[in-house]
Amino acid sequence: MSAGGESSRERILGRVARAAASRGRLSHPGALATPAAADPVSGFVKCFTSSGGEVVQADRGRPANEWLTGFLQALEPGVVGVAVGPEVPAGLRPRLPDVAAAHAGAGISVAWGAVSESGSLILPSTGTRAVQLLPPVHVVWVPEGRVFARMEDALRELLHGLPAAVGLHSGPSKSADIGRTVVTGVHGPGRCMVVFI
Amino acid sequence: MKVAFFVTCLADHYFADAAADAVRLLHHLGCEVGFPPDQTCCGQPAYNAGRTREALRMAEHTLDVLAGTDAVVLPSGSCATMVKKFYPRLAGESGNRVSRATALAERTWDLAEFIVRRLGVTRLGDGLAGRRVAVHQGCHALRELRLETEPTTLLEGAGAEVVPWEAQEECCGFGGLFSVKMTAVSAAMADRKLETLPDVDWVVSGDGGCVLHLDGRSRARGDAIEFVHLATALWRGVN
Amino acid sequence: MIRDYAARSREIIRDEPGVREAVTGATIAFDEKRRKGYAEVDADAWRRWAEGVKNHTLTHLDHYLTEAEARLRANGAQVHWAADAAEAREIVIGLATRRAVASVVKGKSMVTEEIDLNPALEEAGIEVIETDLGEYVLQLLEEPPSHILGPALHKSLRQVQDLFAERLNTAPDGDPDTLARAAREVLRNAFIDADMGITGANFLVAETGTVALIENEGNIRLTTSLPRVHVAVVGIEKLLPRMTDLAGFLQLTARAATGQPIGCFVSLIQGPAAEPGDDGPEEVHVVLVDNGRTDVLAHEHAWEALRCVRCGACLNACPVYRQTGGHAYGHVYSGPIGSVLDPGLLGLHDAMPLPFASSLCGACEDACPVRIPIPELLLEWRREAQDEGLTPWKERAALAGLASVATQPGLYRLAGRIGSRLGARGAARALPMLGEWARDRALPKPSPRTFRQLWREGIE
Repeated sequence: MSAGGESSRERILGRVARAAASRGRLSHPGALATPAAADPVSGFVKCFTSSGGEVVQADRGRPANEWLTGFLQALEPGVVGVAVGPEVPAGLRPRLPDVAAAHAGAGISVAWGAVSESGSLILPSTGTRAVQLLPPVHVVWVPEGRVFARMEDALRELLHGLPAAVGLHSGPSKSADIGRTVVTGVHGPGRCMVVFI
Repeated sequence: MKVAFFVTCLADHYFADAAADAVRLLHHLGCEVGFPPDQTCCGQPAYNAGRTREALRMAEHTLDVLAGTDAVVLPSGSCATMVKKFYPRLAGESGNRVSRATALAERTWDLAEFIVRRLGVTRLGDGLAGRRVAVHQGCHALRELRLETEPTTLLEGAGAEVVPWEAQEECCGFGGLFSVKMTAVSAAMADRKLETLPDVDWVVSGDGGCVLHLDGRSRARGDAIEFVHLATALWRGVN
Repeated sequence: MIRDYAARSREIIRDEPGVREAVTGATIAFDEKRRKGYAEVDADAWRRWAEGVKNHTLTHLDHYLTEAEARLRANGAQVHWAADAAEAREIVIGLATRRAVASVVKGKSMVTEEIDLNPALEEAGIEVIETDLGEYVLQLLEEPPSHILGPALHKSLRQVQDLFAERLNTAPDGDPDTLARAAREVLRNAFIDADMGITGANFLVAETGTVALIENEGNIRLTTSLPRVHVAVVGIEKLLPRMTDLAGFLQLTARAATGQPIGCFVSLIQGPAAEPGDDGPEEVHVVLVDNGRTDVLAHEHAWEALRCVRCGACLNACPVYRQTGGHAYGHVYSGPIGSVLDPGLLGLHDAMPLPFASSLCGACEDACPVRIPIPELLLEWRREAQDEGLTPWKERAALAGLASVATQPGLYRLAGRIGSRLGARGAARALPMLGEWARDRALPKPSPRTFRQLWREGIE
């Protein structure tokens, strides 16, 4: 760090401290009490789908990876190659060729958890960012018991093993910057699909 | 009930008939109306311009003039807000002036506020039956005094049909000094109100400043819109 | 710096009527969504809580800045301090030069507009590509953003169709979907080629050193994930104490901005890629920027404006902003929040007459998620402007005259009688301000007899 930077640091902190001292230090109001849904899973589904996300029912009579393979092939356009996050266990990986995320028809992830009140998926991003962002379709396995009622509950638990980067995905990529018309799949995935496990 | 009528400088000179209608309405509702003769301007033009010293001089004059009154009623939501909300702020932190300003604020009312909240009257007559009106809500009445329903309640209680107006709660662009400092924006704001106006017989407002501005803009555009002060509309509703 | 808001707003309204139409339509739609978003929760309680957290943070900012710095360093990120715009630019360009950066992708960020970062990078020979769709449109047009959230909301579909037809070879009547796909293709390559990603931050959590970014497109996630260096330029007021505070702020900010429960994508960045196999950036830098914020913090009243979370709700609610969009204001922060923040950041003299660019209607304060008393702050700046003699002398003389007349009842009554005898035109000649009034309106008609006269004669 340069000497100039160091002096700017001291200068800024000094000015901030003087300003704070001139008006007294105000206390923190504590936690924000937001209501907790009695059934977090159905709350999540409602919120996530109203933001354009999709929730897909797996055929529980078949092995998960077989079901997913068929499901991806039946999409329009059909998925040929996939990018799969390293966190996805063998039983949840589709039987399709692995390709680079930039060329994959779908990215496959497992969520660390989900949040009911905001309809959000919590996706630690180490080693798997491209999988979550580059393919046009993102399929996310969500363990049903990992749906938190409130964002605060989820973030508090996340603190125990916070990775370098976390992404919250709450629907497909969208924009209304052109002509106030909502378009999806602007930069990130145009379809974001959740399958509960 | 004894009422001191604070006409406001604008209504005194530009809406004298409407102010007289307000007095007739108060008489009709059983009030004994007095008019403290030395009243002038509430000081809002100076207050909004940031001229605190001048605003304070006018506020002190008004505090003197209205000393010893019972309820004070103004035919203007904006000037009522000046007395009710801004006098206590101007008065400072403590002292005799604060207690006088606070006491005056507590007994001061906008006309529609007084009729609905103080007198508890919502039904005036059938005089406005068959009349389609749109309501322009002055911003101070709406967002400082929170008179969200009172003007509409009273107009409907006098038989009028209040037609929904897309821009009903939007500022007309008057803003006192703003209307002469930023004239183009102020006029464009009036245009937005006028462009969205539904087909009505009257546009009714409890604030003379807004009416002067909207009427001035609509005449410059060549529109034929009839603007009526709320006091006049309500008095017509009684008969 | 001379600002002529009155003249500039008149020009925009007169010469570019499409701007008023586009901005009014877009902001009314945003404002309607914000109302629905607030109505779904206990918005009053959320807003009071958020105000309290920000007040606490701003009065402990020295503590939280130090904590955030320590946390970020422990996470492997590097922290830089910039007293002003020039130093912030120097820091970013120094980083780019040291890492031989040829190409930069950017996420939408107001603070990098504030410090004029793009021209400086380009001057240093570095290619800069804005990746937010609206910002990309404006970069092609070489225009500054007009709105915090929808930078190009003053542009019509037609204008974007023409622009993309010329620059990206799209069909002249391409629909928004086609246009967005064309931009996506260009920008996707830019993400993959870029050496550095530059963003702002919505929040910086002291407890964890988390840079939090909210968006809907995914461009910020890509900007912070694909290039090998990520630089976050962060105003010092962006701090939040704890991770759990973020829960409320992520949701409240989204509801205030667009009525959504949360942005489609939120990035929580603690530091660089930690382990081998992580495909994130090798370096994360956080540049903490003052650039006038400590002046605002020291101001007796204006410090409350530093609670701002840049959601744009006050712009959307503002009938003044709707007539012109942001360009009339002459600074990156426009609309109601700009009119209270700019005098603090730039100095009141340089920000005149922005505190007067408001009818004080109060819609902004009702919309603000952190309850900034914008009308009251505008009045405070007006008072300072009056005290410092920054307003026209005619105006000051007129108000002093009003006060003299209004405190002498005899004189007041005399003036009133003369006024009604003069009639509309005479009154306009006597009151110079009515000349300005008459530029766009018919003159008001004085009552033939004042109320006072009617009262004396008896009102039946």
